Formats: sequence, C-alpha cells, structure tokens
Amino acid sequence: MSSSTSSEVVVHARHLGKAYQLYARRSDWLKQVMFGWWKSYFKPFWVLRDIDLDVYRGESIGVLGRNGCGKSTLLQVICGMTLPSNGELRVTGRIAPVLALGATFDAELSGRENIMIGGAVLGLKRATLLRKFDSIAEFAGIGDYMDQPVKHYSVGMRTRLAFAICAHVEAEILVVDEALAVGDAAFQRKCMDWIDSFRQNGTLLFVSHSMAEVRRLCTRAIWIEDGRIRAQGEPSAVIRSYHRALAMEKDDIHRFSAGE
Amino acid sequence: MPSVNVVNGKLIVVETLDPLQRVSRFLAKPFLQTWHHQDLIMAILRRELRARFQGSAGGWIWAVFAPLVAIAVYTLAFTTNLQLPLAEGLGGKRVAYALFIFSGIVIFNFFSEMAFRSPMLLHEYAHYIKQTIFPSDMLAVIATLRATAYTGISVVVMLILQLLVTHGLPWTVLLIPLVFLPLVAFLVGMSWFLCAVGAFTRDAGYLMINIVPLFMFMTPVFYSHMAMSPPVNILIYGNALTAYVEVMRDIVLAGNLPNPFVILWMLATSIFTFYFGYWFFDRYRNVIVDVI
Repeated sequence: MSSSTSSEVVVHARHLGKAYQLYARRSDWLKQVMFGWWKSYFKPFWVLRDIDLDVYRGESIGVLGRNGCGKSTLLQVICGMTLPSNGELRVTGRIAPVLALGATFDAELSGRENIMIGGAVLGLKRATLLRKFDSIAEFAGIGDYMDQPVKHYSVGMRTRLAFAICAHVEAEILVVDEALAVGDAAFQRKCMDWIDSFRQNGTLLFVSHSMAEVRRLCTRAIWIEDGRIRAQGEPSAVIRSYHRALAMEKDDIHRFSAGE
Repeated sequence: MPSVNVVNGKLIVVETLDPLQRVSRFLAKPFLQTWHHQDLIMAILRRELRARFQGSAGGWIWAVFAPLVAIAVYTLAFTTNLQLPLAEGLGGKRVAYALFIFSGIVIFNFFSEMAFRSPMLLHEYAHYIKQTIFPSDMLAVIATLRATAYTGISVVVMLILQLLVTHGLPWTVLLIPLVFLPLVAFLVGMSWFLCAVGAFTRDAGYLMINIVPLFMFMTPVFYSHMAMSPPVNILIYGNALTAYVEVMRDIVLAGNLPNPFVILWMLATSIFTFYFGYWFFDRYRNVIVDVI
C-alpha cells in the first residue's frame, strides 16, 4: 500500500483518548485544584476517543475531518504538546510540529528575524540557522520582502516563509497543519517536490481540507469524526466516502456539545 | 529510544533512579534546560529587548533616561523639605539621599516588573505554547533576563552618578554580580510560580496590581531598616527583598561588607524560591497547555 522503505513503526497509539476539562464557572477550576481528589468539578469533553493508529516510517498520512472533529488535537497529542488523557502512545524519532507556524510569526518583525525565531522554536541551533539561511530564503522566494515586517506580507507570502522554515528542520516526523492550502501553483509544486524527497526517509502527517492535496501526497488517509477514526485506508476511497457523508449530513451544532 | 511515551496520561520514563539521583536530577534540571535551549532563549530575548523600544525614536536612550529622571525627582522631592536620615559615608549631600533611595528602587523595580508581568507571561506566548513544542518553563527565564538587562542599565547609571558625586567608588561594587545572581534566581522562581498560577486565573494579575504597591512600603526603599524599632526591624526581613536592598546599599553606597547572616538569609530565600517555583511549574506544566 505504501512507499515505505521499512515496516518500522514510528507512531504507535492504542485506545488514545483526550478529554478537555470544561468548567461551568471560572472559579470551578480552583475548587478542582483544591478538592479534585475528592470530587470533580468539570465536565470532561472528549475530543479524541479510542484512537488506534500505527504510522510506519516513510508513510505520509493525510488526516481529514470537519472543523472541531479532533484532527488538530490528534496531531498535538502525537507531537507531545499535550498529554492524552488515557491510552498508550509511543513516538520514535525526532518530531517537528509545523502546526500553523505562520501563526507564531511576529507581525512587527522582518521575515529574516522571524526565520531566526521560528527556527529556534523548532529546535534549530543559531549556527545551523545562519548556515541554512540562504537556502531558506531561496525556498521562500519572497525576494526583498525578506527584510520587510511580516505585517506587510500577504497570506500566501507568510505561508511560503513558514513552509520554507519547516522544510529546513531536521526532523524524522513532520506534522503539518494546513500549511499548503494557500500559495500559488508554482509554490505548491515546490512543496510537493520537497515532500516527495522528504518522504525518502521521513514520515509526514498532515491535516488538510484540500482533497486534491491529500490525493497527491498521501499514501494513506484517515477520516476522523467526533474524535474517532471513522475510516482509513487508500486516499481516494476515504475521500469518496468522506464526500458522500458531507453531502448527506447537515452542518449541525450538536457536534460541539459537551458530555454524553 | 522513544521521544514520547505516554500511558494513561502519564509520561513514562523507563529508567529507575534512586532518591538521591532523582533529587540531583531535579536540582540540575532548570540549568540543563536553560543550557539546552540557549539559542531559543537568546533569539526570543533579542526580540523582546528590541521590541520594548520599537517604534520609538529615542530607542535605548529611554532606558538610560528613565533612571536619570528618577534620581533627579528623588533629589528634589526628598531633600528640599524633608529631613530624613542620610546614608553615612556620602557626605550628607542631597544627591546622596537620592542615590540611597534609588539603590532600593532599582531592586524593587526589578521585582515589580517581574511581579506584574509574570501572571500574563504564558498568555503572552500562548500561540507558541499551543502550536509548537515549546519549553514554556524558559519563558520565566527570558522575562527575568530582559528585566535584568534594564536593571543593569539603571545600576550603571547609578554608579556613574555616584562616581561624579563622591569622586570614587568603594571596591565592594565589584560584588554587585554576587547580589544579582541570587536576586535573579529568586525572581525566576517567583516568576515560575506566578506564571503557572496566572495561566489558570487572571486573579493572580489583579492581585499583583494591588499588592505590589504595598510591598514598596514594606521594603526599606525610602527608609533604612536600621531606623526601625526592635520587633519590626527583624520582621521586615520576612520580606525577602529587604535583604537584597540592604546588601546592595552596603556594597554600593557604604562600601561595607554585608552582615553574613543577611547574606545567608538572602541565599536561603533565593534558593528556596527558585526550586519551589520550578517544582510548582513543572507539576502543572501539562495542565497549563490545556487551560491557556
């Protein structure tokens, strides 16, 4: 099914669940901190439930789902940014989250300065960043805008810069949250080429609402609904049933209610 | 070796350590973390230092100007009408009392900047904490380093003024870094505690706005601890800042070596606050990501 060079598991998840604590009143958390051992003052809101997932080295996995279904939380949990509430998770290898990197840009600073900070946040050493700077700038291809404050950038230019930084992170597992959706065809092709070469020895996990992207990039697609894996497998098959479901189900508000 | 290994909401560390190793690991952890993330700390610190005066024409001049204005105002306000006990060894000059106050203010401002900022610190950087693998414990270190830089400027301005007024500096000013090291550790620890509490509730910020000004009068900024009557002059050390202010004045203004008991007390509060703050932050670190 996949282009994996080996069958080594890099992400291993069993019965993974994540609950956020929803408090009715702002003061309830304080009671929870003090008397939490006795009684709980929150409603658990299960964002992820019973996720079983094995990701093999060299795979590239597209995660589909409607807004608020738990896609981003799943990626956050896998990255170790937030701990799962139950279940088992084992991640092997250096993981770099590129979850909306553009969102961490400081609008007042120039592209150059944002590269230095963004790269440092992704764990690159200053010396490495300086060495790779020209290569990052070339990948972003925004020319003289590099020394302008990011607030003057268009959304597409921000994305270019963000992806250029991500492309230079030395990680074995890259987790991308809708980074490619904007950007012109030429830049998207550049990203695709880069991802293809990255997949030679790296693993990619990404969230996207662009089905074309998923079809082109992924060796496997996962469809998440209500925090559960509803379907997974060959991308075009998953996309087909996802589309069918989207057409049938209304965009209702009940999805966001807490508790059972 | 797995990078992340979690079972039922608990991080699994495979190695088994005896209690002594666990304690020494805990004691070393904040320093190892700081060393490990040094490039990130410097990148953000550089940005923060630049951002403070960004968009202002004066830039860094403001950092030098502010302490100068402060000293000028103290000189006018406190020495024209009031007869307050002057610090010894400064020749009873007007500026001398201003320097006396300023040496207390420097310490107090350092503290108050940290106390005001820390509760909101994690909110300020929420986008980093939520969207990247970010060492959130390093934010307190960065914030304290930034405040240290401004405090450093104030201290230099103060020393230059003192040199102009008294035509000389005691050799003990060389010990200033030895006062600042425990002070920085104290404030980093305080910042860890406050920013962890502040992540859960905004009340911490409001509380600070109300109690920090009161602290100004509970710290011997405008007066000397020596001018107090017996029960109070010991009780005032309950405010850990008292020791720093006293030591600062001893080595900068009077040129005396400080009382060893005061130094011990200073070190004790500093080390305790540092590790208590880190322990508290570390304990709630994983919850903070979800509530912020």
